[in-house]
Amino acid sequence: MAEQILNDLPRLLPEVTLTATMLLVIIVDLLTKRSAVIPAMIALLGLAASGALAIGQWGVHTTVFSGMLAVDPFAVFFKLLIAGCAVLVVLFSLGSSELNNRERPLGEYFALLMGLTLGMMLMAGANNLLMMYLALELSSISSYILAGYTREAADSSEASLKYVIYGAFSSGLMLYGISILYGLTGSLDLAVINQTLPSVVAGGGTAVYALAIAGILACAGFGYKISAVPFHFWTPDVYEGAPITITAFLSVASKAGGFAMLIRFLKVTFIDPAAVAIPAGAWATLQGFDWHYIIAALAVMTMTVGNVVAIWQTNMKRLLAYSSIAHAGYLLMGVVVMSNEGLAAIMLYFVIYLFMNLGAFYVVMLIANRTGSEDIEDYRGIGPRAPFVTVSLSIFLISLTGLPPTAGFIGKLYLFAAVLNTQGWVWLAVVGALNSVIALYYYARVLKNMYLEKSELTAPLTFSRPQRALVLLLVAPVLLLGIYFAPLAQLAQASVKIFGTP
Amino acid sequence: MVDPLAMAHEVIGIAVALPLVGFLVNGLLGRWVRRESASGVLGSAAVGGAFLIALALFVELLGQPAGERVHVVQLYQWIGAGALRVNVAFQVDQLSVLMMLIVTGVGFLIHVYSMGYMHGDPGYRRFFAYLNLFIFAMLILVLADNFLLLFLGWEGVGLCSYLLIGFWYDRKFEKGTTADAAKKAFIMNRIGDFGFLTGMFLIFATFGSLDFQTVFARASGLGAGTPVIFWITLALFLGATGKSAQIPLFVWLPDAMAGPTPVSALIHAATMVTAGLYMVARCSVLFALAPMTLSIVAAVGAATALVAASIGLVQNDIKKVLAYSTVSQLGYMFLAMGVGAFGAGMFHVTMHAFFKALLFLGSGAVIHAMHDEQDIRKMGGLGPELPLTSKTFLLGTCAIAGIPPLSGFFSKDEILWKTFSGGHTLLWLAGLAGAAMTALYMFRLYTLTFSGAKRWEAGKHPHEAPRTMTAPLVVLAVLSAIGGFVWLPENILWGNAMERWLEPVFERARAVMPLPGDGGGTAEAVLMALSVAVAGTGIWLGRRWYLSRPDVPEALSRRFAWAYRLLLNKYYVDEAYDAAFVRPLVGGSEKLLWRGIDAGVIDWCIDNGARLIGWVSGALRMVQTGIARSYVLVFMIGVVVILGWMLAR
Repeated sequence: MAEQILNDLPRLLPEVTLTATMLLVIIVDLLTKRSAVIPAMIALLGLAASGALAIGQWGVHTTVFSGMLAVDPFAVFFKLLIAGCAVLVVLFSLGSSELNNRERPLGEYFALLMGLTLGMMLMAGANNLLMMYLALELSSISSYILAGYTREAADSSEASLKYVIYGAFSSGLMLYGISILYGLTGSLDLAVINQTLPSVVAGGGTAVYALAIAGILACAGFGYKISAVPFHFWTPDVYEGAPITITAFLSVASKAGGFAMLIRFLKVTFIDPAAVAIPAGAWATLQGFDWHYIIAALAVMTMTVGNVVAIWQTNMKRLLAYSSIAHAGYLLMGVVVMSNEGLAAIMLYFVIYLFMNLGAFYVVMLIANRTGSEDIEDYRGIGPRAPFVTVSLSIFLISLTGLPPTAGFIGKLYLFAAVLNTQGWVWLAVVGALNSVIALYYYARVLKNMYLEKSELTAPLTFSRPQRALVLLLVAPVLLLGIYFAPLAQLAQASVKIFGTP
Repeated sequence: MVDPLAMAHEVIGIAVALPLVGFLVNGLLGRWVRRESASGVLGSAAVGGAFLIALALFVELLGQPAGERVHVVQLYQWIGAGALRVNVAFQVDQLSVLMMLIVTGVGFLIHVYSMGYMHGDPGYRRFFAYLNLFIFAMLILVLADNFLLLFLGWEGVGLCSYLLIGFWYDRKFEKGTTADAAKKAFIMNRIGDFGFLTGMFLIFATFGSLDFQTVFARASGLGAGTPVIFWITLALFLGATGKSAQIPLFVWLPDAMAGPTPVSALIHAATMVTAGLYMVARCSVLFALAPMTLSIVAAVGAATALVAASIGLVQNDIKKVLAYSTVSQLGYMFLAMGVGAFGAGMFHVTMHAFFKALLFLGSGAVIHAMHDEQDIRKMGGLGPELPLTSKTFLLGTCAIAGIPPLSGFFSKDEILWKTFSGGHTLLWLAGLAGAAMTALYMFRLYTLTFSGAKRWEAGKHPHEAPRTMTAPLVVLAVLSAIGGFVWLPENILWGNAMERWLEPVFERARAVMPLPGDGGGTAEAVLMALSVAVAGTGIWLGRRWYLSRPDVPEALSRRFAWAYRLLLNKYYVDEAYDAAFVRPLVGGSEKLLWRGIDAGVIDWCIDNGARLIGWVSGALRMVQTGIARSYVLVFMIGVVVILGWMLAR
């Protein structure tokens, strides 16, 4: 047993590196008080090392620790995505006046950020219901604290508390679902459950109902993590109250971890390995479960509520919160079709979403640093005052809408293509397209305020060179991937391999 | 040892890239270049380089057996979507090399000429950037190995034409501005493009490919007169009438004279307007398989030749006369295509490029000397003032009138002979009448401009143009004089070398339809004499009426006032189009499409849809109360509803 653990340890190096980084940040923070830069540098180095080690796992296709964690291309892809997101958020944090204008140094903040990242990476690989729950909790608890990190601000504390209540409730439900599943199958390992389930379904009777309840309850936990409607209520309040850096991180990485876990849970547990007569690259779920329809309903509700409610928002962070809910809806369309094509589209979309969404949040943060406001009303006439960042913000928003020639268009193109290429889901694509039209309205409203409205204030807003460089770093891929996306698409297509599935 | 010339086609990409580089450098960096001549030299050098490569290609092909002169050079795959595979690939063969030589050779001369003509113009660099872009697009057009790439060039030259017609966008032109003329050209071309696109769609639907080689090979398998081929070729021909200014889309070309004169020479006489002919020649097998379309082509060509020549008789703007003359000559070329004499058509394309470029550049020198005066009624007696210009212009005039042994004599006569020997007597008569009118209006133009009394204002001092402008005139004059010798009658010296050069390109077409009238003998000689006599009559009338007896044409115009007005107003074609198409279209678009459908139906739906969503949004927002208890409640309700739905199914 011990020997096997030692053998598996190298497979866990990215996560081990992150844990070490977290500890190192805490220790260094104790030694060098009041410096934000040194912990940040250590965090960046740790993330880079972890990412590099994750790249080294490319091509591995196995599980470690008796099936607890999967190491497969799918997990590696999401780990890299999460690490990349964390790197950007660390860089954001260094320039955030909301975080830096405080008595307390940022050492703890970076340590918690590492913990959060670790939790998300584990979510990407978790192959056992218990592991899934632990990973979810690890990331959740870190985020509760980080959401309330600027605790002097009243809405930050409120956000944190709401987050805790809501998170506790949903993880309770999820735990309940897991326990039922364990009761039915006698195992927590996804692969074993998958092997046992056919006999449970074949047995019929109440077991089938119990299975349905278990599945739905577990999904409620995932739904909370990806903020799918109706499990999304925490999202606007937390996103608005938390520091922008954390909001940005939650809106991308947390969602990515949640999606990775949801997809693995669905695909490994409920797939029917004996299914015949399905197109290549598609998967069939076990008899008696209309996962398609449940997830389609969630997708439609999520994108519609997200977009429709976003229309009336007056705060940029809250607007982007609803926009990120809507994006979870679009991404769910890729799950609905249950095919490798849909999966690749989700992964491609996440990479693009990383740049455009983080970019939008970063510019909002930069502007808030200077003007002290996140109100859309205060964006009036800001365009001529800060041409570079507002043009960048326009590109991010246009990309979020999904208009060419930005990367957002390519992401939506692949998602919609995956939906349209699957029989019987045309209506879903139509709903998605209509939603994009609604989305255009509230994004364009920001553009209108920035450029077409007049303001008495004309003093130019200046930003430091590193800040502008970071904006450029985010805007360049959004434009580039809109034109040249073939390698990324190939990478996504190569990363759909999940351990335990054919 | 490898002969470098045998590999010339490998560097075809460079020939295409050179003008593009010229365009990019002049267009993007030109404003930082202080000396304007640097831009001109760069632009000319880019085209000159391409011409040298074209020459090398020509020599390479000459050194190869006639059957092996086709090279397809593939650069990269452009589009791959389902069954549609389109490459960026160039086809080097006898036809494309001929066009390349014309485009870069005449293009180079006109670039050099422009360095003098455009000197001091504030848009000098922009002008050269556009000219280079045009050459680039034109090379794409003639070298493409598939319809889509050809269409790219086709649209590219159309764009450059538009940009250059409206080059002096702030100047007045006739009833509007040059921008109106540019728009007219663009729209007429768009109508033609509709035809070209339709043809291309039909080709893809029928043959499953857009590559020339594949399409032509598969087309050869179809029988002559298959309906789909008729529609394909008819649609393609509609495209050709737009680009090459034929009835019914010819009205844009005279207005295109709003652009600078070198543009008129290069784009609207020598090269771009022959794109339609090139396309027909390239697709000769398709047209040969559709005899009905060919008849239409021939009839349209002959009619255009006649109509445009008759309008040219009464125009008073020096460039307008040349413009109608171009339309008329293009008509001859289509007549040749229509009777299946593709080679003769291309022969006239080449010769026409020489003498029409010469005439336009000469007219440019005159306009230059007269300080932007274009009305020939206010000229006269310019011969002694502009000796070189007037002599080269006279040579060009004789060439177009068909005086042996100048180039126009050979090419026009070849067309008339092929028409006659193909049995199209009526078309031949029309062509003969057109030839008489050509001689008449050209000598009227020459006489009114260069001979007789001076009718210009006293203050003007016409002077010969600078060397950069006269040198191209001389080169073109030489070419116009001796160019025709590439197509001598058989058994004389090298015989009809150009026909032998081009004929392999039309091999597939010849399998369906034989070349008309080979080896004429006595009949050909008689017809030749006849057309020379006709041209001579035209010349004599032109000299006599406009030099010594100006009362005769005036009396004629009074006697046949209705006919005179009809010609002067260009058969009222513009007015007819305006009444038949433009006004109903604008009216219908405004009343029905805009106010009715757009404002009434579509906007209503959108507005109310938006209102509905706004209302729903306001309602949904209320759910987000900010109270954690209610969030959890809704969460729970959500779980229960989903469960209920699932269990109920």
